[in-house]
Amino acid sequence: MLIKLAWRNIWRNKKRSFITITAILIAVFLAIIMRSLQLGMYDNMIQNVVGSYSGHVQVHSKGYWEEQTIDNAFEFNDSLIQKIENNINVSNTTKRIQSGCLSSNSDLSKFVFVTGIEPQKEQLMTDWNKRLIDGELLKPNSQAINIGKGIAKYYDLHIGDTLIFIGQGYHGMQAVGAFQVSGILDMKNPALNNISVFMSLSSAQEFLSAEGLMTHLVINKKEYSDEKEIVASLQKELNKNYEIMSWQEMMPEIEQVIQADSAGGLIMIFILYMIITFGIFGTVLMMTQERKYEFGVVVSIGMKKVKLMISMVYETIFLTSIGIFLGILLSRPIVLHYYNNPLEFPAEEAEMMESQGFEAVIPFMSSYDIPITHGLIIFFISLIICIYPIITIYKLNPIKAMKR
Amino acid sequence: MNVIETTKLFKTYSQGDIQVNALNDVSINFEQGEFTAIVGPSGSGKTTFLNAIGGLDTPDSGKVIINNTDITQLKSNQLIDFRLRNIGFVFQAYNLIPVLTAKENVEFIMLMQGETAKSRKSRTEELLNAVGLKEQINRKPGQLSGGQQQRVAVARALASKPQFVLADEPTANLDSTSTSNLLDIMFRLNQEEKMTFIFSTHDQRVIDRAKRIITLEDGKVISDVIQ
Ligand SMILES: Nc1ncnc2c1ncn2[C@@H]1O[C@H](COP(=O)(O)OP(=O)(O)O)[C@@H](O)[C@H]1O
Ligand SMILES: [Mg+2]
Repeated sequence: MLIKLAWRNIWRNKKRSFITITAILIAVFLAIIMRSLQLGMYDNMIQNVVGSYSGHVQVHSKGYWEEQTIDNAFEFNDSLIQKIENNINVSNTTKRIQSGCLSSNSDLSKFVFVTGIEPQKEQLMTDWNKRLIDGELLKPNSQAINIGKGIAKYYDLHIGDTLIFIGQGYHGMQAVGAFQVSGILDMKNPALNNISVFMSLSSAQEFLSAEGLMTHLVINKKEYSDEKEIVASLQKELNKNYEIMSWQEMMPEIEQVIQADSAGGLIMIFILYMIITFGIFGTVLMMTQERKYEFGVVVSIGMKKVKLMISMVYETIFLTSIGIFLGILLSRPIVLHYYNNPLEFPAEEAEMMESQGFEAVIPFMSSYDIPITHGLIIFFISLIICIYPIITIYKLNPIKAMKR
Repeated sequence: MNVIETTKLFKTYSQGDIQVNALNDVSINFEQGEFTAIVGPSGSGKTTFLNAIGGLDTPDSGKVIINNTDITQLKSNQLIDFRLRNIGFVFQAYNLIPVLTAKENVEFIMLMQGETAKSRKSRTEELLNAVGLKEQINRKPGQLSGGQQQRVAVARALASKPQFVLADEPTANLDSTSTSNLLDIMFRLNQEEKMTFIFSTHDQRVIDRAKRIITLEDGKVISDVIQ
């Protein structure tokens, strides 16, 4: 009965309810679209830099991050990897061994980072075919190398040419080798293009005299899961010989940029919510004020005030819930569309973005967290607004209310 | 047997510097089955008196005893429940909940009393029939005339099976046909259901229909006659 009463009361002033619902709808809609775009953009940025290169979480042997030398490599065993891959937030892992060394060809030389990788597993993190601009990608046990296009340009190297490396291997061993270039890569980042050399894990281990060792175990999380949770649970599970770092710890600058930008968006949403709060409050105020006489009548004939309050709370909740529901419903197809077909930047900006190592597209974030969060925020705002009719009814004196 | 006993009711309002005695030593008893008009000029204290015996307002002093309970001693939420179980109300106008139909308005009060769906339905139909609104049962107040709305209000007042019905100027907003119609219905319910009606009015045609007439002036009872 109270529900019926509340529902019908909403439609008493159709125009006003319609306007209120529309306002809530627009606020929810805008908030969802804005956040899906922003968070999608950050996620993509992170995916570009983090997901495709550093991984969300890395395991090293203790002290490696401070002193990144091959001597800080660690031995891997299958049970360790099994343990990590069983974590519910982990999507996949890949092993790398990395060391800096000198490269040379004819009378030129250049410092580079040689990284031994597991080609098939790296492919799970990012599509290497998009990076390949000439030749072919590494195969699991290939003896050849893939190099960044900056290096190729520096030495004027082509597919089939050879590059020589001289450096230090594990525990002071001499590391010398000549490798044939089988592919040239565009890492979408000038710094990486000038410094990256990739080999298969096995040839890098052999080159560095580091059989069965690695320097990085790179972990990728599942979509929308929390890397910090992975770090926390691995810190509990693994022993003290390892250091487990999230990308935020490894690259704090990226997180700072995102936080600053995100704050701007949140301020806009906050302003939007302030406006909507006053809008809902105005409607509830009028709904309450113009019905005081009626409240007087029903309390006179014996309606408990609590029931009257509940009916007003229902009414407010119905009104906002309709707006919230419609807002979510309308935003969903748009979010999904731009999730599947990311927004593209205009040409000039796109070039600039790409030169800085970012993909020039914004895929929307399709996580349900966003509509749920913003729906709940407005829902709680409406609950707070209900305090007004509750107080009015609590203080109501039926005789005064019915005096005209 | 008395349904209501009032003794030495006083109520004073201050309007600026002046003290107004809205009730000045009023002691009246009402018996089961009465059909009584409270009359007097505007401002004589009729509404104040009805509010006091209806538990809508408390006098400054005096007792109002209904069902062996002195209702002046009840707390405000106890009073709400007391009104629901014991008293039927008909106000001057705008008695009904606008979003509910005639039927639902009558049912509403029984729902609050916790009546079963079956007994609600049969009593609602019976009462709306008795006030001559069999056809208008599913109409909302906005689709009913003023007189019809007051008849629904009377049906609602009786729906809770109260000890008595209080009506403060129930015909003040009605034309003469609707007035005599409403009076006929109230009178018949008084005869057939032995329902006690106490109503205030200053309409001579309404006064003529009453069995007992109590006249107030400046908050005092100046005459109390049975005709
Ligand atoms: N809330 C109030 N505040 C001040 N004076 C009031 C109030 N209610 C009633 N009065 C005064 O009390 C007297 C009796 O009023 P009332 O009972 O309404 O008379 P009636 O119903 O016979 O017209 C009047 O003089 C009126 O002005
Ligand atoms: Mg009056």
